[in-house]
Amino acid sequence: MSRRLVLMVLAAALHAAAAADPPAAPPPKLCAVLNNRILGPRSADRPLPLLQGHPPALRTACVVSWRTLSPGNQPLAVTDCYQDSLLQVADAAACGTATGPLWVSSRWVVTSAELQAGAHSPACQLLETGAWAGTRDFEVACKPQPRDFEVKPEAAKAPAADSTKAAPAAPSPK
Amino acid sequence: MGGSARRAAGGGGRPGPVGSALQSLLLASVALFFLNFNILGTASPSKRFSQDLVYAWFGNEAWLYPRPSPEHPAKPRVVVVMIDDAALALRGAHWPVPLQFHAQFLAELEVLKPRAIMLDFLLLDPATADDICDLLRVGSRLRQQGIALYLAVTQPADLQHLDAAACRGEGGARVSTAAVFTPVSVQRQADGSDFVSRRYPFEQRTETSPPGSGIPSAAVRMYCGPDPGAHACMGRLTNAAPDAGFELAWSPQGDPFNQRWSHASCIESISPMRAVLNEPALPRESACPPVATLFASALLSPEVDPTLGAQNEALFALADGAFLLVGGNFRGSGDLVTTPLHTLLPGVYYHAVALENLVAFHGEPKVRKEFRSPRLAFYLYDLLVLWVLAAIFLLRQRWVHRGDYAHSPFELSTAARTSIASTMARQLPTPVWIIGAAVLLLLMSAFHSLQLIAVASIIAALVVVEIRVSPAAETHERLRGLALYLTALGLSLAVIALAVWIGYRWLRLPPGDWLGYFSFAAFGFFVAHSAILEFGRRVDELYVARTSGGGKQ
Repeated sequence: MSRRLVLMVLAAALHAAAAADPPAAPPPKLCAVLNNRILGPRSADRPLPLLQGHPPALRTACVVSWRTLSPGNQPLAVTDCYQDSLLQVADAAACGTATGPLWVSSRWVVTSAELQAGAHSPACQLLETGAWAGTRDFEVACKPQPRDFEVKPEAAKAPAADSTKAAPAAPSPK
Repeated sequence: MGGSARRAAGGGGRPGPVGSALQSLLLASVALFFLNFNILGTASPSKRFSQDLVYAWFGNEAWLYPRPSPEHPAKPRVVVVMIDDAALALRGAHWPVPLQFHAQFLAELEVLKPRAIMLDFLLLDPATADDICDLLRVGSRLRQQGIALYLAVTQPADLQHLDAAACRGEGGARVSTAAVFTPVSVQRQADGSDFVSRRYPFEQRTETSPPGSGIPSAAVRMYCGPDPGAHACMGRLTNAAPDAGFELAWSPQGDPFNQRWSHASCIESISPMRAVLNEPALPRESACPPVATLFASALLSPEVDPTLGAQNEALFALADGAFLLVGGNFRGSGDLVTTPLHTLLPGVYYHAVALENLVAFHGEPKVRKEFRSPRLAFYLYDLLVLWVLAAIFLLRQRWVHRGDYAHSPFELSTAARTSIASTMARQLPTPVWIIGAAVLLLLMSAFHSLQLIAVASIIAALVVVEIRVSPAAETHERLRGLALYLTALGLSLAVIALAVWIGYRWLRLPPGDWLGYFSFAAFGFFVAHSAILEFGRRVDELYVARTSGGGKQ
C-alpha cells in the first residue's frame, strides 16, 4: 500500500515537473535582435538590390555589389529593421549621395542575428483554391483584416514619403 | 458487295480479301460517324474525360509528358512566383498590388538571373508618375541584362497610361513601355461542356483579323522569345483559327519543390483500377500544384523559408535561367482557373502549364483535330484506325462462325435459358419476379457500389448454370469463342494503344480518342451496327444479279 502511494506521489511529481518545463523558445525575430550587423553577402557573385525611403513608402534605389556597399569588406551596422526582412544600413552613399537611408533584404545578406538563431523550418503556405460567389470590397480606405503575419510598429510610425500619393494602409496588428 | 472479290474466292458464301476489306471499311465509316456525332455536344465530354484519365494515370511519366525538371537540365524550368497578402505585408503594402511593389519585386527577381519574367497582373489602376517611372527604370535595367519582361494586357491600349508618364532613364533618354515590357494576352479558354481549361489559346484576336495579327498568349510569346528573330516561331504557332488553342498536358503530381511549403501531399498516384471499381478516377482537389512555386514572402524574407540555403543555393538552383511567372494568390480576387486534375488553381498556373507544355514538346504541342489543317487528313487517320478494328472484329466473327456453334460466347445457351425460365416459373409468380428484378435494378442504379458486386454475382451464377445444363460439346465451343474474343480484344487494345501513341507522338493529337475506339471494339458497337453489312450484302447481290442478267441480255 505504502509502495503504491510512493509511486503515485513520484508519478505526480514527474508529471508536475514535465508540465512546468517551458517549451523550447522560438529563435528571436530578426528585428528583435540588438546590435545586429550585416556580415556579408550570402552569395558573392550576386548583386544586392537596395531600396531607399522610409517603410512602407520605399523605392528602388540601385543594385550594387557587396564591394560597393562595404568597400572595406567590413560588417555594416543595422540602423533600422522592418518586418523582419528589410535592414537599413548605415552607409547611405552606395547609390549616390541623395538617396537617404538604404535598405537591403535579409534574403541577400548574412547577419549576426541569423548566426545566433538556430535553424528552423519553412512556414507552411496555402494556395487560395476556393471560388467565392461574393464581391470583394476594393475600397482603398478599407482596413484589411488581420492575417497570419505580424506587423511591426515601424509600419505605423513611418512617415509618408510622398504626400501626393496615398500610401498603402498598413495592416492592423493582431 | 465485293462481287468480284467473291468470285475471286471461288464463288463461295464468304467474301474474298477485297470484299472483306470493303465490308470493314463500311463498318468503320459508320463507327467514325458515331465517334464524331456531336449533336447536343454529347460526344465532347467523353473525349475530354478520356483525355483527363490518360493524364491522371500516366501524366507523371516522361514518355507521355517530358516536362522540364531538375532531371532534364537541358530544358529551362518554369517557376511560378506567388505574391500574396503576406508578401505585400513584408513591404507594408496591400492588395491590389501597388506598382511600387512590382518595381521592388522585379529588382529582387533580378538577383535570381532568370531567363524571363512575366507579370500576370493587369496594371490598370491609376498610379503616380514616380511609381510608373520607377517600374520602367527597373524593367529597363533588367532588359539590358538580357532578362525578357512580359506584361499581361487585355488590349494594346492597356499600356498607354504607363507611357503617358513620359519617363526618362538614367541617361535622360525616354523610356517607353514597349521597350521594357512585351505585352501578352492572358485570355483563358474553357471547354463548353464542363468549363474546364484544357485548351490554351495561341493568340487573342478577332474573327476578322488575319492569323498572327493579335496579341500572342503569354506562354506562346515567352516560348518564342521577345526578339524579332522569334517571328518564325510565332508565325508557326499562331497560324490557326481565331478560337484555336493547344491542349494542355497535366501531371497529377505536385512538383517536389512545393513539398517544402505545401500542407497537402505532392505525391498523387491514381490507378486505372479505381475507375473499374467505381471510385474517383481523377485526383481530388490538390493544393500542391504541378509547377514549382516560390512564394514571394519566402523570397523577400529568409525567416519565412530558411531552407533555401545559407547561400541561397536552393533558390538559385530553382530560378537560375528559368522562366518566372509572377502571379497573385489572394482570397476573393477571382483569378482562378478550373483545371482537369487539380480542380481550382490561381490563374497564373494556366500560363505556367502551357509554357511547360511548349518546352516539353519543343514548341509542338498537342492540338485537336478540329483545329488542324488539312482537317480531313486527321479524320482519315481516325477512319484508318477504325478500319483495322473493324477488320479484327469481322475476322473474329468469321472464326467464330467457322465452328458448329455459331452464337456469341456471351450469349445464354438454349438449355440454360430453359433451365432458368422453368426454375423461375416453378418458384415465382410473374408479378413477383418482375417486381423483384425491378427493385434489384433500382438498387443497383442508386447504389454504385452494388453494381460491380451484382454484375460479378450474376456472371458467376450464369456460368454455374451453363456448366450444369449445357452439353459438353457446346461448352467447348463456347470456350473456344471466348478465347477468340479475348484474343481479338487483346489485338484491338494493342491497335488502339499504337494508334493513340502514333497520334500523340507524331501527329500531335491529344490522347482523347482511346475511349471511343475501345467502346467500338469491346462493347458491342460493331455487333449492333453490323446490320449495315447485311444491307450492303443485299445491295451487292442485287447489283451482281443485275449486271449478270444484263450480260445475258
